[in-house]
Amino acid sequence: MSQTRALVAALRAKLGAADPLPPPGPAAKIPAPPHRVFPVKHVPGSYAEKAARHTTALVGIGHVGTRYATDVVLQFQAELAVAHEAVDTVLPESWAASQGLLPLQSRVRSHREFLLRPDRGRRLDEASLALLRARADKGVDVQPILADGLSAVACMGSGLELVRCFSDACRARGLTVGTPMCARFARVWLEDEIGAEVRARVAAILLGERPGLGTGDGLSAYLVFEPRVGKTDGDRNMMSNIHARGTPPPEAGVRLATLAAAMLAQQTSGVALDLAPLASELGDAASRKPRAPQRRVRLVEVKR
Amino acid sequence: MSILEPMVPTVLSVRRIPAAHPDLLRSYGADPARHASLGLVTCDQDDPTYVALDEATKHARVDVVFARSFYAGSAHASGRLSGEILGVLAAADPDEVDEGLRALVRCLEHDACFYRADDAGTVAVFPHVIASLGHYLSREAGLAPGASMAYLVAPPLEATYALDAALKAADVTAAKIFPPPSETNFASAWLAGELPACEAAAAAYAEAVVEVARRPRVDRSER
Repeated sequence: MSQTRALVAALRAKLGAADPLPPPGPAAKIPAPPHRVFPVKHVPGSYAEKAARHTTALVGIGHVGTRYATDVVLQFQAELAVAHEAVDTVLPESWAASQGLLPLQSRVRSHREFLLRPDRGRRLDEASLALLRARADKGVDVQPILADGLSAVACMGSGLELVRCFSDACRARGLTVGTPMCARFARVWLEDEIGAEVRARVAAILLGERPGLGTGDGLSAYLVFEPRVGKTDGDRNMMSNIHARGTPPPEAGVRLATLAAAMLAQQTSGVALDLAPLASELGDAASRKPRAPQRRVRLVEVKR
Repeated sequence: MSILEPMVPTVLSVRRIPAAHPDLLRSYGADPARHASLGLVTCDQDDPTYVALDEATKHARVDVVFARSFYAGSAHASGRLSGEILGVLAAADPDEVDEGLRALVRCLEHDACFYRADDAGTVAVFPHVIASLGHYLSREAGLAPGASMAYLVAPPLEATYALDAALKAADVTAAKIFPPPSETNFASAWLAGELPACEAAAAAYAEAVVEVARRPRVDRSER
């Protein structure tokens, strides 16, 4: 604005002719911002809270702002380390013999090959096949096979106990049980070849399962009726999470024996097997009710 | 509309003569030895144009060789483009004329203008303050270039009444007083002083004109 125009505008204001707009009203009162925004107090819904108690899965762990709490992150990292360690562990070659088990091995020669070539883990090598033919009992009702699978830690841990419990439970039902044996670098389908060789009516492979967070010591059991090479997963019944915090081996052994007996009775396994008559024998496993409350094992303690 | 709003002048016609004939140069007051180019402008307000011509001398090497108001103002002009003044800039080359014309038009569009002294716009006042005089008005007013000056114009009675108020309002002296009638039937005055004094005088002048426009007849003393 030029000098003279500014001067005249000031004069207009002085004479009361300026600015047709009304004077601005008083400013609105703006409330002060909250003193602290994070962390928001975590109030889980009652349903989530209840559900979280029945699992060791990572639910109901809360958050701090948009992130996990520090202890949750540390716990996660520790559990992941446990899982990695379990996958990396190799079953010693001499372990089976030292435990009085028939030592077998798949066609896999190294741990790396085992992880990369599942197909080779499903067939026995020549030496094992010869040993099996020479030493194992034939024509049995149930052939239990301990194996390392994806967790040698689990195999060496509660594997023997599970084999013993399972065998005892089978004998208690009047079934004949095959020679105890242990397969190294084994995949689930190895039971087909072994079961066929020993002419078992039911083959049961008990092997370390793929480690999850914090569970490097879990065993799974896969049962198949009339094993022979070519059976599919649809022909198998399985049970997982056999470990102290899941289904303990003694309980698992009884259930597996029940399953094996049902297979022999119904002359089938897998999808075709009717589990309905077993409900009373399986107890909790057949129930539709929520599991009993679980407790996560804390590998990391954070001081608060 | 309310009082003291700007009445922006309209530049009606502009022409440049790059190499004018010497006879023409001489007849309009230019010196053919120094001047070759002319710039011509007409406008519907004369006093803002005098100020704008002076402004041009501050921005370019131009001389104001001719500037005359027309009789009875733009309401009685000889043609659509005549307005009430013809101003002529002269320079040694056309570029200087162009530069001068640019400054002149800019001043008319954004600075110098009459203001309404009443709501209807039937009374006009020109209370212009020039912070720093150019060559043209300083020569005309007999002041030094760069001095401050209040250029005050109003209709006859208002101008006379307001000039008294302006002279009394600040430490200013009358460089020139033009009693009515001018060619356009206004009256004007040029007051010299420091810049703040000129501003105070111009404000008092405008206020007095507004006062007369509001209450034209005060027949008796109100004491």
